[in-house]
Amino acid sequence: MGRVFNVLAALLVSAAVLALFALGYGPVPALGRALDPGHGAWTSAAGGQPAHSQALSLPGLAHPVTVAFTSHGVASIRAADDADAFLALGYLHARFRLTEMDLERRLGEGRVAQLAGPAGLSSDKFELRLGLLRTARAEWAATSRTSPAGQALIAYSRGVNDYLAQASSSGEWPSIYGLTGVYPGRWTPVDSLVLQGVLTQQLDYTTTPLDYAILERTLGPAHTMAWFPVLAPGQHNPYDPGPYKDRGIAPIAPQAGQPVLAATASAGAVKGPVAGPGPGSNRITPQVAAAAAAILAQTDALPAGTIHQYPDSNAWAANGPKVAGAKSMLAGDPHLPQTVPSIWYQIALSAPGLSVTGVSVPGLPGVLIGHNAHIAWSLTDTQNQATLFYTERTSKSRPGQYFWRGAWRRMRQVSYTIPVRGGSAAHLTVDITVHGPVMTQAGQTTSVDWMGNIPSPDLAVMLAVNRAHDFAQFRAALAGWRAPSQNFVYADDQGNIGAISAGYYPLVRHGDPWLPMPGTGADDVAGVIPYASVPQVYDPPGHVVATANQRPAGPSYPYYIGTSANFFDPGYRAGEIYASLQGRSRMHPADFAAVQLSLTDRLAQQIVPPLLAALRGGHLTARQQAAAALLHGWNGAMAQSSAAAALWWTFWGDYLDAVFGPWWKAAKVPVHKDRAGLAVSPQNQVSLDQVLAEWTTADPANSAFSPPGGPHRTAPAVMRSAFATAVAHLGATLHGAPSSWAWGRLHFRQFPSVTQAPALGYGPRASGADPWTVDAADGGLVSHQGPSWRMIVAWPGHGTATGEGVYPGGQSENPASPWYSDQMADWWDGRYLPMPPAGGYAAGPVLWSLRP
Amino acid sequence: MADLRRLGRRGSYRLGRLGAPPPAGKPPAAPHYPAWAPGHRGSAGLWLLACLAAAAFIAVGALVGSWAIPFLAGLAGGVASRHGRWRLRVALPAVVLVAAAGWGAALWWLALRGLPEGAVARVIAALAGLPAQAAVAIAVTLLVAAIQAAAGLWLGRALGPRHPAG
Repeated sequence: MGRVFNVLAALLVSAAVLALFALGYGPVPALGRALDPGHGAWTSAAGGQPAHSQALSLPGLAHPVTVAFTSHGVASIRAADDADAFLALGYLHARFRLTEMDLERRLGEGRVAQLAGPAGLSSDKFELRLGLLRTARAEWAATSRTSPAGQALIAYSRGVNDYLAQASSSGEWPSIYGLTGVYPGRWTPVDSLVLQGVLTQQLDYTTTPLDYAILERTLGPAHTMAWFPVLAPGQHNPYDPGPYKDRGIAPIAPQAGQPVLAATASAGAVKGPVAGPGPGSNRITPQVAAAAAAILAQTDALPAGTIHQYPDSNAWAANGPKVAGAKSMLAGDPHLPQTVPSIWYQIALSAPGLSVTGVSVPGLPGVLIGHNAHIAWSLTDTQNQATLFYTERTSKSRPGQYFWRGAWRRMRQVSYTIPVRGGSAAHLTVDITVHGPVMTQAGQTTSVDWMGNIPSPDLAVMLAVNRAHDFAQFRAALAGWRAPSQNFVYADDQGNIGAISAGYYPLVRHGDPWLPMPGTGADDVAGVIPYASVPQVYDPPGHVVATANQRPAGPSYPYYIGTSANFFDPGYRAGEIYASLQGRSRMHPADFAAVQLSLTDRLAQQIVPPLLAALRGGHLTARQQAAAALLHGWNGAMAQSSAAAALWWTFWGDYLDAVFGPWWKAAKVPVHKDRAGLAVSPQNQVSLDQVLAEWTTADPANSAFSPPGGPHRTAPAVMRSAFATAVAHLGATLHGAPSSWAWGRLHFRQFPSVTQAPALGYGPRASGADPWTVDAADGGLVSHQGPSWRMIVAWPGHGTATGEGVYPGGQSENPASPWYSDQMADWWDGRYLPMPPAGGYAAGPVLWSLRP
Repeated sequence: MADLRRLGRRGSYRLGRLGAPPPAGKPPAAPHYPAWAPGHRGSAGLWLLACLAAAAFIAVGALVGSWAIPFLAGLAGGVASRHGRWRLRVALPAVVLVAAAGWGAALWWLALRGLPEGAVARVIAALAGLPAQAAVAIAVTLLVAAIQAAAGLWLGRALGPRHPAG
């Protein structure tokens, strides 16, 4: 009996151990397979080896291709035709960034839970609801297979799949796949277009109208529009100062699968840039506010950086007397979520008719920012409002229907099954109205009309930009760009400079687009700003053009493009750039680099003088006097070692809180529903920064300084109070004398790993900068967004460019690789690396020969 | 007891033969064997060689992707240990060590070929949500081999035939 029991127990335990190790259980991976030294996660070591010269066979190539690597792993591809160049690029992207590409693809296609388990389900549901995959499929359906974009996507996918086949054959996968046992599927053109959608979402999808709804419901319409106006006070430094021309409305291009388009709406005036509250059509009922809160809860569960939150990027160009030793110069530093690996993969592509160098996005063919033999360009986000929410009229007696333009319409339904690792599959049905997908039915059925859901031939545009020789070709190429709207800054070898804010700017004839609008038809998007009327300049008389996400056009611009709330940068960075460039002449690349690395906070420069004046009118303790002394003579530089910088930043946060906190508290603003969009803190609400700065200098008796039901206060009194609070805060946090309160003791930069594994990221590391410095640091005291690529291109002569650039991280995503973070030190210290020449060939220690 | 058939016969009884037989001389010292099993025979060197061979077999199995070899090795060890009446307190550590040594040797071999196994170990630990130390991932890996071997040993001992003399 004992023996039988022993046999049964041994069989049971053995079966359990083998099953667990072979199949895994719940979140526990199949440990036997995963940790097998020869074929599990350990095989990723192969990808961590230093690259060496070799010959590789890539099916699909028509001709041999050579790839030369610099010591930092920057590859120069030389091919006999475009298809081979893009196939090789796809292979390189996959070889060095497969995990990053696949994670982005999973994010956009709602397949995160398949890899990460139930924790990824909320993200999957959001993305499938929003519809990046549907849009990508529509884009691919609308792409001719023989067009340059179609052929590039096909060749690129083939290159990715060549690597997948190699990895499958050798078993040498990145660790995350060996560990989870969930391997990436074949790459398709739709996957690339989904990645384009993810990038669009990160740059263009906002929830600000939902925040407006909650603010209006709690603070009331008057305070909401006074404190979050369409046009914020202060200098905006538009790069296109006008004059402007109203050319009416352009129709939205027909969309696949969208039978009805708002572009056919009846004629009427388009809302101008400074329109006040509408004629009452946008009523924020409790149901609308509840729906807003429900959608915000969805986005709150998304990974950081998934939707647009911060202003991003600087780009400028100069020519004529402003530059020395060159006909024109261009600088660009896009500010994006900073991760390791970076969002960028540096590359030079060379094929007949194609000579381009710069940074590419793994998953997409082509160069997004860089230069070719004749032109250079960089991008910043335009920040215009591209996301509009509609409250649909529904009826319990008509399930699945909504009322639009005088009739009940049936919602289109799309169903998805979401695989979940370690759990049962989830099912999701998405309702779609004429405006777009229904994001919630809690409170009030609400759909979203997002420009990113309109198929946009971005790739075709970028390939044309990659080949453009002059501004006319550049401008013509950008006419097709829809989303995300971007400021494209330009400089060429003829000495010309310019900028165009290409993309769709949705316009409505009725209602306030910054709030959720009724979905019954009258408030629909009527069309977009005609391309000829979007902000743009060419060879401006001042010989300088600069964009730093500030409102690109001035107050007289005849179209509505967005409000001050989180849409446009306050203009402090742009002001600093213009001040730095306009006051100088005969600049060299080093001068541009100094501007890119500038730590000057112009808001501090504006506010510190009135602060010191206010402090002179009150009694200060010895510690407060010592702290105030730090600000005397301070130049506004947010240097890591600066105690004045720490004091300024802490003061500004306490000042904002002292002014607006009582109002928020009295109105019971539900900050917890969306801290990024509703909380009072620096940069969270850039319009509050702007209005408070304006009141402090020009309206110190503004009624907002007096708390509701409280005593009358003025700006100086509140500043003194906030200063005392700030000194107390810093004393409690950092201790010691005020002179020891270095900014770097409070402020850090962190570069999380795309895998979300904390140990694979970089930092946190003490750092200077803040959101208003040109060398920006966004995201709070532990910043995770900033310059993701710094580039400077000079054009000394016809067809001759000298480019230099650097990004934080390295070319390989494999933490074991010497190219994982080898550029981090250069980036951190403000050094630049030579870019491989466009059409040339970088001399490098490693050479690959790719053969058909 | 006396033999009844010899009673009364001549020569059946002799003086000096009626007592107990004389005590036997001291037996020669038995050769020393490892106390792995009662009645076991074989040299320690051979046993060590067998263990090394098993570890090498497990290592090669790991390198070719047969992750369950440690279990099979443990199973074989279990059958043998039952048949050979090896003591569990010796057999269990032995198979566990052999299995861990096998997978450890495989990792060592890969590292000798220039692969950055230490860095990858840290990555594996980090991705698994464990403390991001190379030693952690290596330890967990060896533990997986050891657990397999232990389970195999148990099953082998439970199913294996008994020693004929046992």
